[in-house]
Amino acid sequence: MAEILIVEDELSLNELVKRNLQLVGHRCTSVFEGAAALYEMECHEYDLVILDIMLPEINGFEVYKEMQGRPTIFLTARSSLADRIKGFSMGADDYLTKPFEMLELLARVEAVLRRTQKHSSSFEMGDVRIDFDGRQVFRKELLVECTPKEYELLEVMVNNRNIALSRDRLLELVWGYDYDGDTRTIDVHIQKLRKKLGWESVIKTVHKLGYRLEGGV
Amino acid sequence: MKHRTFLTTLILFLLTFNLGILLVCVITFKESINRSKERSIGEHYFIVSGIVKDFTALESRETDIEASLGTLLQPYHYLAGDKNASLTLYRDRTLVYSIGREIIPLNNLGELPREGNRLVETQNIDDSTYVIVSGKLPQPFETYAAVYYYDITETILSWEQMKNILFFAGFILSGLLALCLLILLNRLFKPLSQISQTSHNIAAGSYDTRLPVSGNDELTEMSRSFNHMAEEIQCQMKELINSAESKQQFIDNFSHELRTPLAVIYGYAEYIQKAALAEEDRQSAVEFIMLECRRIQTMAYQLLDLANLKYEQITLEEIKISGLFETVRQTLHNRITQKEIQMEFIADFDIILGDACLLQSLFENLIDNAIKACGTGGHIKVHAAIEAENKIICIQDNGNGMEAKDLQHIMEPFYRGDKSRSRKDGSAGLGLAICSQIARCHGAELTFSSHPGTGTTAKITFTV
Repeated sequence: MAEILIVEDELSLNELVKRNLQLVGHRCTSVFEGAAALYEMECHEYDLVILDIMLPEINGFEVYKEMQGRPTIFLTARSSLADRIKGFSMGADDYLTKPFEMLELLARVEAVLRRTQKHSSSFEMGDVRIDFDGRQVFRKELLVECTPKEYELLEVMVNNRNIALSRDRLLELVWGYDYDGDTRTIDVHIQKLRKKLGWESVIKTVHKLGYRLEGGV
Repeated sequence: MKHRTFLTTLILFLLTFNLGILLVCVITFKESINRSKERSIGEHYFIVSGIVKDFTALESRETDIEASLGTLLQPYHYLAGDKNASLTLYRDRTLVYSIGREIIPLNNLGELPREGNRLVETQNIDDSTYVIVSGKLPQPFETYAAVYYYDITETILSWEQMKNILFFAGFILSGLLALCLLILLNRLFKPLSQISQTSHNIAAGSYDTRLPVSGNDELTEMSRSFNHMAEEIQCQMKELINSAESKQQFIDNFSHELRTPLAVIYGYAEYIQKAALAEEDRQSAVEFIMLECRRIQTMAYQLLDLANLKYEQITLEEIKISGLFETVRQTLHNRITQKEIQMEFIADFDIILGDACLLQSLFENLIDNAIKACGTGGHIKVHAAIEAENKIICIQDNGNGMEAKDLQHIMEPFYRGDKSRSRKDGSAGLGLAICSQIARCHGAELTFSSHPGTGTTAKITFTV
């Protein structure tokens, strides 16, 4: 999938971001200093940079100035409006404040990648292929009929694969905040997807939590 | 206040002034009336006694009195020349003779007094005022009565004129006085209004407003003390603002310091919960969580220490400095040898008063910082000396040094000169805040001097 550079001086946070992004299939490189980040960008091409602002020696804003407009998400503990505005006015694609949630990080990364055209237009696993642009699902190159909600649910699960999603969260992501339905709706749609795609073992039920789509790492 | 003073003074003045004028008027009036009366009585007496003398002479010659009245009273015609006076003579209430312009029926005169006495009164007749003196002639001519009129209209008129002039002048004077009083009061009250304006300004928040100080009177003295008060207020406000700001800074820093470990803990917990993990990944995630928990724990303990140090009273005991440093050196032994650092210790005095545990922690912290600042093969010199009769201890390194802008903040809780390095060392950013507090507990002062590149010196000055 995408090549992502993570610039964060805190080892544990850097590792956390890396692991989360790897779950959904991105290739990640960790660096801990501004200078190393600039060096790394000279040598390799990256689709996205996740950049901490408070770095030793060279801070994130300075690094950003040097790296000539690569897609960037600032990651910082500074949540003041002035800081955020500064980040955006420099041209950052997004701004994430610590502490953040895993799904938030992934959603923002996904959104930036989609905007910058680095988002892959299809996803393949086993005999199933999903065409994101055409919103179509194929199994063994045969079109599988899906309702719009089934398709959206599938897309959310694929984008957040290897991560357990609670029924409430799925309801919120697919049906929206104002949907007044039962979480049973999710179970029904999941059953249908499993049957249509033959994914009984791919979409796992996580006890007391929800569902997780596994594989594709 | 000004208006009240103005009104009271003005009213009091007007009252006494006009009362004075009134009094003068009344007295002059009475005086002139009395003078007229006395003059009239005198005249009456003179005339009557003349008449009686003539009457007695006539009687002895047995001549008819009434027939010769004309000749008798001839000498008194001078009265007619005086336009104000006139005389009438009655016999048994009938007019027998009159001199002058006015003739007034006797009926109007009322009951005449007994012989020998005279009745004096003032009476208004046809727009004129008269003093009327009437009296019977003495025996044996008691059937005759002489009435003397004296016209005092003019006197009264002139008095009225004088009175009017007086009141008019009084009115003008009062106006002038009111004006002067107003100007005077304005001058007197100007400093007061200035003070009230200034205090309004101060109350509204412009604490640097001051009163102008000029001259050498009581008001200047008051202005001076007012300005002093304003200065004190300004100082205290500044202190308050500073302390509020440093508290706010502390809270900001604290929440920021909490945020990173919390983000890590939450993130890994969520990771463990939601991702399908191999046992190895799970172990390392848990380790990260524990590491961050320990960091928060350290921070909590250090904050507690800091808070306790602020309120706790320490017991002072005599401590050998050489012993103290030996302990510190042993504690830090590993790190010193690891970085191949040369330690030098010079003591010009050996006994110091203090709490052994706290002092040890103080020196450990400072030397630890010095080790962090030094590269491999650095040099740290600890010097206990006496400077200006005060015991001082200097800890000098030849490490990185610091910029002046960092130097003034390093003792603030959570301040980090280098935003991330110290965190990597596992400290919470409270070390120097605690050191400074420990020094303060001992009545000592901790100061730093540093130049980037040449190293840093920490100096503890124990004031006796």
